[in-house]
Amino acid sequence: MTTKASCHSLSRRQFTLGVAGAAALNLVAPLARAQGQPKLLRVRLGSDIANLDPAHIFQVENQTVATHIYSGLARYDEATNKIVPDLASSWDVSQNGTVYTFHLRKNVQWHKNFGALSADDVRFSFERVLDPKTGSNYVGQLAAIAKIDTPDANTVVITLKAPNSGFMHKVTNLNQGWIVSRKAVTEMGDRKHALNPVGTGPFVFESWTPGQEVRVSANRSYFGGPPKVDGVLFRVIRDENAAATALTNGEIDIFFALQEPGVIARLKDDPNVKVHDRPADHTINFVLNMTHQPLDDLRVRQAIMYGINRDAIIAGLFKGTKGPAYSVLTPAFLEYTEDVPKYAYDPAKARALLAAAGQTDFSMDVIGVGFSPYDKIVVPIASDLSAIGIKTRIQVLERGAYLQARSGGKIPTAITGVVGAPDPDNPIISMLAKSSFPPGLNTSHYAGVDDLIANAAAAQDEAARKVAYQKILQKSMTDLPLIPLYADRLFIAHSNRVQGFVQNSLFTMNSYPVSLA
Amino acid sequence: MGRYLARQTLHLVVTLAGILTVTFFLVRMIPGDPAQYMLGDYATNDALAALREQLGLNHSLLVQYGLFIGHVLHGDLGTSVVTGRPALLEIVQSLPDSAILAVAGMTIAVLVGVPLGIVTAVRHGSFIDIAVMLVALAGISFPVFWLGLAGILVFAQHLKWLPALGSSSGGGFIEALRHLVLPAAVLGVSVAAYIARLTRSAMLEVIGHDYIRVARAMGVRESTIVWRLAFRNALVPVLSIIGVTFSYSLGSAILIEVVFSRPGIGTTILKAVSSRDYPLVQAGVLALAVIVVLVNTALDLLYAAVDPRLRTR
Repeated sequence: MTTKASCHSLSRRQFTLGVAGAAALNLVAPLARAQGQPKLLRVRLGSDIANLDPAHIFQVENQTVATHIYSGLARYDEATNKIVPDLASSWDVSQNGTVYTFHLRKNVQWHKNFGALSADDVRFSFERVLDPKTGSNYVGQLAAIAKIDTPDANTVVITLKAPNSGFMHKVTNLNQGWIVSRKAVTEMGDRKHALNPVGTGPFVFESWTPGQEVRVSANRSYFGGPPKVDGVLFRVIRDENAAATALTNGEIDIFFALQEPGVIARLKDDPNVKVHDRPADHTINFVLNMTHQPLDDLRVRQAIMYGINRDAIIAGLFKGTKGPAYSVLTPAFLEYTEDVPKYAYDPAKARALLAAAGQTDFSMDVIGVGFSPYDKIVVPIASDLSAIGIKTRIQVLERGAYLQARSGGKIPTAITGVVGAPDPDNPIISMLAKSSFPPGLNTSHYAGVDDLIANAAAAQDEAARKVAYQKILQKSMTDLPLIPLYADRLFIAHSNRVQGFVQNSLFTMNSYPVSLA
Repeated sequence: MGRYLARQTLHLVVTLAGILTVTFFLVRMIPGDPAQYMLGDYATNDALAALREQLGLNHSLLVQYGLFIGHVLHGDLGTSVVTGRPALLEIVQSLPDSAILAVAGMTIAVLVGVPLGIVTAVRHGSFIDIAVMLVALAGISFPVFWLGLAGILVFAQHLKWLPALGSSSGGGFIEALRHLVLPAAVLGVSVAAYIARLTRSAMLEVIGHDYIRVARAMGVRESTIVWRLAFRNALVPVLSIIGVTFSYSLGSAILIEVVFSRPGIGTTILKAVSSRDYPLVQAGVLALAVIVVLVNTALDLLYAAVDPRLRTR
């Protein structure tokens, strides 16, 4: 009896202490938080950063952190996507469209006492990307440049090989458009600078704890005026449900990049949370390797296009949180058009096309990468293709393995989207130009629009440009090197404490305009 | 004792050499390339080749292994492919967070599991025994990451008693403690289920011995029988159970760190595996192996203190 009584009371005591402890911590902690702490904005990232060097940067998490640190010659107005001055207060374009003269702001200072920005830093940044030794991902973006001159410390003159109507996109604040300090990169070396970046942006890089968090602090001498928060803490929280709970509990302020429809719906119902929603600059595509038989046959590719019920994927898998895609451009682009060949779901027509091509019994791997939603989307695709008589095998590869397989260029299919600026060359050249493989993302090995891309670059005005891009979209949707599955939409949620947030269409986010109530 | 320690040290060296070798080749068998991971889809062959050379990945596997062992013998576990910092330093920096979680979790597990094991053994066949064992079975059956998610759902989302994240972003000791409660409790409950079941078995075996029956027949008080006669003798198997479950708790801590977005060696190794950061994976696995071997060695020494018979063997 004694044993029973003592154990019983111990258990009860433990329980009572536990509950009391949790309650006490709950009461004390908010008081501790409230006492004069700096205004730190806490932002959720879905995965960790890896490289913040503008010459090599990719992935929205890296780009989001870099957005806070670097500036470009020009920048996208986050609300309108218009190109507006950034480090360059103004620029002139020569009559023939080949010479761009940028006039830099004066007295812009690099972070961490690396001195004042000069025209030489701009020249260094672009020449560094173009230097084959750098091995930059973005050589092609700046390939139009013939030479860069710096007549004085505040003037940069860029001469192009030929007129290029989309050139300003290439020097605007994303990826290769971000300007680095010659002194910082030279003193630190490429590798160290990639994770200790020095910029001229509104926030200064402070620290990175791998797998855990990145901290940046306010740049009080930012040329646009100091930010309204003292710093930003980017926390890596992989699970969306846990991140949503952290947001509603006040543990984070901004939930960057919601994907799960259930989580989006849950946060939309919360009166203390604001969910922003904007069409992104990219589509997600089912890429067909045209060197892979029988995908080299247009009728087979048409059959696959007719055979996938894309509306059902958007309505069922994504619960309407994505938009329809008719080409590789989304409505976010000025050059967007819906005047392209369209393929409504028609399994009977798909079967007839396969029969006409003599392909009534072939197998195909449907390959996706192992994170949401790309690990799930392969299932309805494979199911639809099986229904029209294509034997499918689903392969979901872990990211490292997927990157290696896709870069090898031999896999029959891939799921690819090109996240980035509202520059139509970004998805078009990346996925449809012959020069974009290898290396690159044109794993369909398509070469049908190269002359049209050159025509678009030479277009002299907006109207001519729009016509030129329309032809590219029409031709690519006739040849079908890839199947646009859906136009992505970016969902970002924040607590009501966050004010002044502006969502962009680049799939990144910027804390500069944000204040905390 | 000297010979015992020498044998344990030799055992440790052989174990670690084996673990290092297996880890070295295993991580390289996973498809994927660290250079490709770092440079992305647009990386040119030249850029990839240059980075591979910089990382020492251009040599044959056996040459890489020889170089690696040579460096390890000089105490150098290499530098992280991603951060460029010494791999050992990265791991050592991530250890305190994992150690805090493991110790807090194990403390809860022992405080809950051992008493429950004793009570259920003493009340063998009673309602309490059946109920506790059913709950323990559930605790073992549910994976720890599921318990973690369920914990977040109940205590963070619905009751709002505790934070959903396993680490604080400032706010001092109290805030840090508040963030530790849920992950430590989940780990503790999960491990407690094992400890309770195994403690019960150990106690039942001891209670079944003749000397306990004799003690009862002689009218020795039940509390004396349970604590001084039965539990003291069941302590050696219970200690070995705690040793085994400590290894299990380290494994679980990795999952818990991920579920609760908590820093630690688990988060570090997981990220290292996904980015094919070979030196960091090797250093992390080595650190975990050293901890497990050291804890088991410490427990072996403790057995001798608890059971005088073992000292003479």
